[in-house]
Amino acid sequence: MATTPSNGSGTTNPLAAKPGTTGIDPRGPRFGAVITFILLGIDVILGLTGPSVESGTTWAVRITDPAFILLLVITLVFAWGTFAGIARHPYGLIFRTFIRPRLSAPTELEDPIPPTFAQLIGFLVSSVGIVLALLGVPYGLVVAAAFAFVAAFLNGVFGYCLGCQIYVLLVRAGILGRARA
Amino acid sequence: MDALTAGLALVGLVALTTVAGLLIRAREGRAKLLANTVRVTPEDLGLRRGDLPFGSSATLVQFSSEFCTKCPATRVLLTTKAAEHPGVRHLDIDVTNRPDIANRFNLMQTPTTLVLDEAGMLAARIGGAPRPEALARALDTALRRDHGNYTI
Repeated sequence: MATTPSNGSGTTNPLAAKPGTTGIDPRGPRFGAVITFILLGIDVILGLTGPSVESGTTWAVRITDPAFILLLVITLVFAWGTFAGIARHPYGLIFRTFIRPRLSAPTELEDPIPPTFAQLIGFLVSSVGIVLALLGVPYGLVVAAAFAFVAAFLNGVFGYCLGCQIYVLLVRAGILGRARA
Repeated sequence: MDALTAGLALVGLVALTTVAGLLIRAREGRAKLLANTVRVTPEDLGLRRGDLPFGSSATLVQFSSEFCTKCPATRVLLTTKAAEHPGVRHLDIDVTNRPDIANRFNLMQTPTTLVLDEAGMLAARIGGAPRPEALARALDTALRRDHGNYTI
């Protein structure tokens, strides 16, 4: 059954992570999103000033373009976050080592599943940029980097997880979720 | 493209994204009061008639999904609110596997909360994590405690 009626007398903490997973400090993914949008902003600049906005470039030019190399690194980090899980994310390691000890305890823990899903969305969008750059499509890399920048900026600055919030639109479009009706 | 133009393009992107973020923040969690003209049945929510899932005075219907950062906090808020008022019940509907329900209620985001009165009529709708004061006002409307909008 897809419903959970509750009457307020539950003894379990509804904020607790699901069994088998560990709740994470929500400031961790947000810190990671700040690093990500700074890198993507740099990549947009590199892309606009580099050869990826021109047509008719050679393979050698495309794969040595600094904007391409940086987006490839960003994509690989997204892949790490997606497939290893947000709890093993490299930026999360930086957060836990250098930032977390200077902060007070988190007021709540977050389920790691939604931020891991956000990494998947980032991975898919930046992968599109990588493919378009390899195909030599002018502005393909810049546009994909710009989309990823918007999502990471909203997450880092406003704490708004775009992919999570509009997930239901993907369900309605039949892209995600497993329809039983 | 020269570096100055590229820099200006990035500044423009930052400005547009900031405006979008501020708009989202301003809209999020506000209650849209409705005229109690639409009836929601348990069947509409994928529940069986025999379940008697609605509260005797009002019902807070929360739509959640699998990947939803604000659903757990919303669940806590609504559960607490329901516990404060006798006859008010909180329902959490996971629409991950129910696109039919998501379409029926035209869900654009999760969490989305519907506030129903004692007859199951739609009193208010809240998109995103509800603001506590918006939720209180919406529930007062459903409970007919809004003084001045009595319908007898």
